[in-house]
Amino acid sequence: MTQGLKRSLKLGLAFLAAAAVGHVGIVLATPGALMQVAMKRMSHGGEIINAFDFGARTTQKSRWVVRPSPDLAYSSCVYDLSKGPLLIEAAPSPGNGYVSLSVFDARTDNIAVFDSNQHPQGIRFVLAHAGQATPPGATVVISPSERGIVLDRRLAPSAELFAAADKARRADRCEPITG
Amino acid sequence: MAKHAYRRWTMPLTLAAGLVLGAASGWWVMAHAGARGVEVNGWTGSSVAGAVDADPWTRAQVAVRGLLALNKSQAIYLTTRRDDQGQPLREGCRYRVSGGAMPARWWSVTVYAADNFLPINDDDALSFDATEVRPDAAGNWTALLASKRDGDGAWASTRNAGAFDITLRLYNPAPAVQADLHAIPVPRVTRIDCAGGAA
Repeated sequence: MTQGLKRSLKLGLAFLAAAAVGHVGIVLATPGALMQVAMKRMSHGGEIINAFDFGARTTQKSRWVVRPSPDLAYSSCVYDLSKGPLLIEAAPSPGNGYVSLSVFDARTDNIAVFDSNQHPQGIRFVLAHAGQATPPGATVVISPSERGIVLDRRLAPSAELFAAADKARRADRCEPITG
Repeated sequence: MAKHAYRRWTMPLTLAAGLVLGAASGWWVMAHAGARGVEVNGWTGSSVAGAVDADPWTRAQVAVRGLLALNKSQAIYLTTRRDDQGQPLREGCRYRVSGGAMPARWWSVTVYAADNFLPINDDDALSFDATEVRPDAAGNWTALLASKRDGDGAWASTRNAGAFDITLRLYNPAPAVQADLHAIPVPRVTRIDCAGGAA
């Protein structure tokens, strides 16, 4: 093999290896990066952490996350477990309308979900990071990451139903456990 | 001298080009490639959206196209960007969506523009759902996808949607369809007519 051919082969293999690294790297990094953006937006630049933020009715102007549903009322709690576990609660909607509470870790995985079918009287659980002490007897969700998002979705396909769901969700809690 | 400089920069430039091309291909797969998952009569969906066992490519696609999607125990999402003749859905045409009883507690069909957001219009008709359609005795229903309302039936506005797609959401889907997305009786999307008279 000539010196020139060896060099071309070496360059070709280096190109393919770099392309593979670039491809896999962006695929692995993108979910976490988009979650960081979503957490920043939902927490209003870090102002609202460990507390629910109640979103307005979804319209054509809603741009905080892709493909929003105009039929749901969304509330979000950007969580930070670095100082301890949180108590999460969602009150039922009138007429046992659909309510779900879903927990997403920093990698976008939906690590837990509860809904009004399973919990018609309301949803309640403790969200903790691995190794943190939690109250005995509580339903506990362990988040692999310290930060993430809890999302409350409620069926609200009309302005009237949105108003009713909005009133009910004001009783939601996402707050540090005290005492 | 020039030849020496050329040789010195060839490898770094090759590596940089490879990284850029690889990253671009990764982005294309996330943003534009066919959804990794299941195809059901022209609709595509994933049975692992939001799940902890999603592979990296599915997780990345969901993050780009549907961040914070629920897992299949709560919701199943199916999307189509073509009518039943395989033609792309577009704002200039009217479509009839027809279906039957859905195996879920509640369902909806929503229009999305190519940027993955709701189309910019103030028609207050960005979707239609199970409470809006009027099923006949056999449970069959129809709805309209068009830029203008026509009649008083269920309607989702495609005004300013351009080349669009629609997403079917099934909330609290029945266990049988959680286990097999092919068991979902997906709606049919039939083109009625297009601006300029083309059918």
